Amino acid sequence: MTDSAVATNPAQVTATSAVAPKLTVRDLHFYYNGFHALKGINMDIPEKKVTAIIGPSGCGKSTLLRIFNRIYAIYPKLEAKGEIMLDGENILDPGYSMNRLRGKVGMVFQKPVPFPMTIFENVAYGIRHHEKLSKADMTIRVEQALRSAALWDEVKDKLKQNALGLSGGQQQRLCIARGIALKPEVLLLDEPTSALDPIATSRIEQLVEELKSQFTIVIVTHNMQQAARVSDLTAFMYMGELIEFDGTEKIFTKPGKKQTEDYITGRFG
Amino acid sequence: MSSIYLRRRITNWLAMGLSMLATLVGLAFLAWILWETLRQGIGALNLKLFTKITANGADGGLANAMIGSLIINFIGIAIATPIGVLAGTWLAEYANRTKLGESIRFLNDILLSAPSIVMGLFVYTIIVLPSTALTHGSTSFSGFAGGVALALIALPVIVRTTDEMLRLVPSTLREAALSLGVPQWKLTLQILIRAARSGIITGVLLALARISGETAPLLFTAFGNNYMAINPIDKMSSLPQIIYQYANDPGDDLHAMAWAGAFVVTMFVLLLSLASRLVLSRSKVSHD
Repeated sequence: MTDSAVATNPAQVTATSAVAPKLTVRDLHFYYNGFHALKGINMDIPEKKVTAIIGPSGCGKSTLLRIFNRIYAIYPKLEAKGEIMLDGENILDPGYSMNRLRGKVGMVFQKPVPFPMTIFENVAYGIRHHEKLSKADMTIRVEQALRSAALWDEVKDKLKQNALGLSGGQQQRLCIARGIALKPEVLLLDEPTSALDPIATSRIEQLVEELKSQFTIVIVTHNMQQAARVSDLTAFMYMGELIEFDGTEKIFTKPGKKQTEDYITGRFG
Repeated sequence: MSSIYLRRRITNWLAMGLSMLATLVGLAFLAWILWETLRQGIGALNLKLFTKITANGADGGLANAMIGSLIINFIGIAIATPIGVLAGTWLAEYANRTKLGESIRFLNDILLSAPSIVMGLFVYTIIVLPSTALTHGSTSFSGFAGGVALALIALPVIVRTTDEMLRLVPSTLREAALSLGVPQWKLTLQILIRAARSGIITGVLLALARISGETAPLLFTAFGNNYMAINPIDKMSSLPQIIYQYANDPGDDLHAMAWAGAFVVTMFVLLLSLASRLVLSRSKVSHD
């Protein structure tokens, strides 16, 4: 795992990787109503790997994730400056179509938020917005998505039931199914297990492991064990800066920075 | 047991006792009103009440007033619901935290507490007087005008509940839909309204309950009619208006009919409130 990334200094943290970077972040700054929340982030997120972002509360890890699909833009007075290249195009360019971006970059949130409709419709809803499928094709697509999210066996007999009746862990896997049903290229997970019990958590972690063969995954977590378990690369952030970004094994065994070491050994944060 | 726990227990008992007392006082008045209207009106509560019209006086019934009430309330709700739901949606989803939105929300709250007779006079000025002038007096007061007056009373209630119910929908649901690339209008129509549906329906039912008992705005608009009127451009009778009229009459028979009418209205409102409870509790599959 250590061969996948090499750390340099925090101002220019790049992961030189065998695979080409899927997302390239260059000199990214973010402002919340004037507050400088991200201060010059540079990172290369490799394709079809799991990249974990860790750091204490308020360090900017969720903020960074929420820029990758520009979901922050639905709120007023938030501003991102810099460059995020996705397949060679800058997604922060105002001309970049939101529709296209969100078809390419899916997101799963901290709390499971199924739509108030049936299990089937929850998955079909997003697909229908992007593609016109026949009824038969849609059925196949929904089944595929539910299978990939390891939920099919539990819900195949109750696809017509309201999704709000599922357990929290099932709801979260449904949200993952809903995200991957669009066949995105990047999947953003914002603390996807923080509202779940340990069993549901381990199912989601297994799932992340399985999904990385198809998707580039970026996961924000406040659980360091989780980052160590599921990710190939780990980024440590502190006070709006990217302190260190390297192979997960290296970050957790031989961190290059004192701050990283202090954090992962529990001396602060 | 140490004294601090004892004190907490006593405080707890006190607070519990006072809350229960307050609930009982509220419930007692409701029971009293129902009981009193039933006791006083029982003599007039018979089939005639629902089949005969008020033209027959003490030998008649309240059929025309009941039908009139249903028609006028229906017109009121039919006008207020679409406008109210749309306005509430706009406030919650498109104008939230904007200056314009806040001002309109504030104005709506003022409208919510405006005296209902003002609505009656307003509709008298903008509908009754012009229609009298236009038709040379053949149409003046009308069930339609009454419906519009009631719509003006129901409207702010519906705007307020729609706005509040939509703002209760967790913002994560919006983010989840938008992150699938779904545009705002689809999100609003297909997801948010659906998530807030039971609350919005409850608001409409409560608005209906509110206008069912209104008398003042109808005096200057629907006026009243001792005969059965179905056409909304005619003068129309309504239960609250007949109750008002009969209660002012010296005859004891008419008093009993007014009580019976009051019992019918109260039961109707009670059933509506229960129905709205049912709607709410049925969809109590929460997001957590």
